[in-house]
Amino acid sequence: MKEYELFIGPQHPGVTGNMMYHLWVDGDIVTKAECNVGYLHRGFEKLMESRGWMQNVPLVCRICVPEPDVNEMAYAMAVEQLMDWEVPDRASYIRVIVLELARIAAYLMSIGSYAGSLGIYTLPQWTLGDRDYILDIFEQLTGARVYHIYIWPGGVRWDMPEGLPDLIEKTLSYIEKRLKLYDDVFFRNRVFFDRAAGIGKIPKNRAIEWGVTGPNLRACGYGYDIRKLEPYAAYGDMDFEVVKYPELGDFEVISDGCDAYTRIVVRRLEIDQSISMVRQALKKMPEGEHILKHPNWLKWKAPAGYAFSRVESSKGEYGYFVVSDGSSKPVRIHVRGPSYTHGINVAETILKGANIADVSQILFSLDVCPPDIER
Amino acid sequence: MKALELIGKGEEMHGRAYIKSDKEEASSIIKKLKENGFDHFVMLSCVDWIDNNEFELVYHLWSYEHKEHVMVSIILPRDNPSMSSMHELFPQIETYEREIHEMYGVDFEGNNRLTPFMLEGWHDMPPMRKDFDSKKFAEDVFDSIPEIKEEEDEGI
Amino acid sequence: MGLFDGDIMKYEDWNKISRIASRKSLWMVHFCTGCGAIELPPVMTSRYDMERFGMGSMATPRQADVLLITGYLTVKTLKRVVNVYEQMQSPKYVISFGSCPINGGMYWDSYNTVKRLDRYLPVDVYVGGCMPRPEGVMNAFLELMKLIDEGKARGWEKYQKYYEQYKRNQKMAFNFEREKDEGA
Repeated sequence: MKEYELFIGPQHPGVTGNMMYHLWVDGDIVTKAECNVGYLHRGFEKLMESRGWMQNVPLVCRICVPEPDVNEMAYAMAVEQLMDWEVPDRASYIRVIVLELARIAAYLMSIGSYAGSLGIYTLPQWTLGDRDYILDIFEQLTGARVYHIYIWPGGVRWDMPEGLPDLIEKTLSYIEKRLKLYDDVFFRNRVFFDRAAGIGKIPKNRAIEWGVTGPNLRACGYGYDIRKLEPYAAYGDMDFEVVKYPELGDFEVISDGCDAYTRIVVRRLEIDQSISMVRQALKKMPEGEHILKHPNWLKWKAPAGYAFSRVESSKGEYGYFVVSDGSSKPVRIHVRGPSYTHGINVAETILKGANIADVSQILFSLDVCPPDIER
Repeated sequence: MKALELIGKGEEMHGRAYIKSDKEEASSIIKKLKENGFDHFVMLSCVDWIDNNEFELVYHLWSYEHKEHVMVSIILPRDNPSMSSMHELFPQIETYEREIHEMYGVDFEGNNRLTPFMLEGWHDMPPMRKDFDSKKFAEDVFDSIPEIKEEEDEGI
Repeated sequence: MGLFDGDIMKYEDWNKISRIASRKSLWMVHFCTGCGAIELPPVMTSRYDMERFGMGSMATPRQADVLLITGYLTVKTLKRVVNVYEQMQSPKYVISFGSCPINGGMYWDSYNTVKRLDRYLPVDVYVGGCMPRPEGVMNAFLELMKLIDEGKARGWEKYQKYYEQYKRNQKMAFNFEREKDEGA
């Protein structure tokens, strides 16, 4: 039987962004897949080498579009490692609030998009509408809805305004009420069980070797979370559980793990953990300064050395490798995005043997985001 | 640190282990680290030290068990750099090597998939090298494209 | 004896009716070309709801009217965008978001992004900002509808008339040739 070539191309509602998958199919089954990226390549790392340390901050947040705060955080942590700075406590707690709110917004968007790929279009309309209330909180705090430029090396840009804790509490109680609606419409839906169970399995003993990180790894049964293994900001003081298969709370366990169903349910349960962490941070916040004193931005020279910082984002592990030679511009900044491994090697391997109708579902459940593959 | 004890050399830098190695020994060091708990391959970076006329390849590994991060560094000469491929140890190294081949021009023996990755139809110098001037390239190529000249009687 | 010969209907009146029908049901091509696409889901969903103006998203370019260029364009994407634009049926419109298609934006010295969009495709409405807010995006849609009503949104005619110039510019971007400096 001859093989037919199919392009799930850049202009397609079934891919998660601007990227292309080249498939070879035999009837309805995929026999080989190749990923083609480069449609969003801006040459970030080259641009960052010709700008100063502080000029890179507005550039860095545009690497990951749905959740820009993790990039600002990782860059700030790497620069603080080079400069040997200790961030004030109040800034650490505010950073936790910003990162967890960004995580809730990103999870709402990814669950909604996944439901859209199955054909249940009610859920994206609801989750994207509710995610907008979190963007309103960001607008009050930082001045912009999407690209905040708020987490600077040394602290945060300005202090929390008055009245913000009440707005945050109001939004969180509203989202908790809405989560019960999502459970009834989607998470206990017969269509979701039938279509998602057992699809897109990652073999458990190869998951770490293939470089799987984040909620995808926790759905395979490993309870690894960077916020517990190498705590940064104020996560050492936070009290939360790591959600992993098979402890799925109130949701049924209908498969062996590592499949699309478990990955989405893990994301849903982590929203609850994030809501509780924001409340804890608001209660425990100390008084104090919100940023350290910077040297003159035009003459800021960082000491020579190699620094590496990692952050847990809603898609996986973000890593920043920063090399300095003592001058006012970096020698090399290399960004490790989580979708580099998920979208290319892992997706090409697990798409073999899948139906064409399930290709889109597998990609959305891995949460592949093209800008952090090609920066 | 556990990694420094295992390999027997290296130093600690901002809480991470940094081990200098060379082309022949690198593969056995990484295999030994993989068998002793360092089973997560984080990334493969390349730094261009143009003043010393060399490239530096840095292999990053992380261990969930010991909670440590290791950087294994290899120096290559800048003219005609080449290194043996390690994609049998970790499958994702194939993609990192492909990107470094495209962006810096380093050749990896044993990797069959060194095809163009992010740039299409590129026939200039590898763009991440320090002697490639990105601003001048943008001015030469994109600013020299002329505007659309409309005729006088349009008035749209 | 056609529809417009005689006194059944004048050509200008038919044009006016067809423009009213066109502006009340503009369908956009589903193509997120750049980072500006993050403010498009709030516009399409329940908070800002563009469907009350008759706009929806369409998967194939053959049945769509509006192409949204959301943000910057790389050379690799520009080839596909030109393909998509030429597959759309006339009358068709282009809206560009953000400051990157206007003058290069934040990536003004990048080797891979296209700096000015109107040298490659005809643009009807520009929206400024980085990113433009959803209210700005809705304003752009209403501005486009007003221009269609007045008969001023004629980008596709410009593309047909100056086709050779647009093609020459596109080829210069795709197959760039630089003069080699001495010693290279």
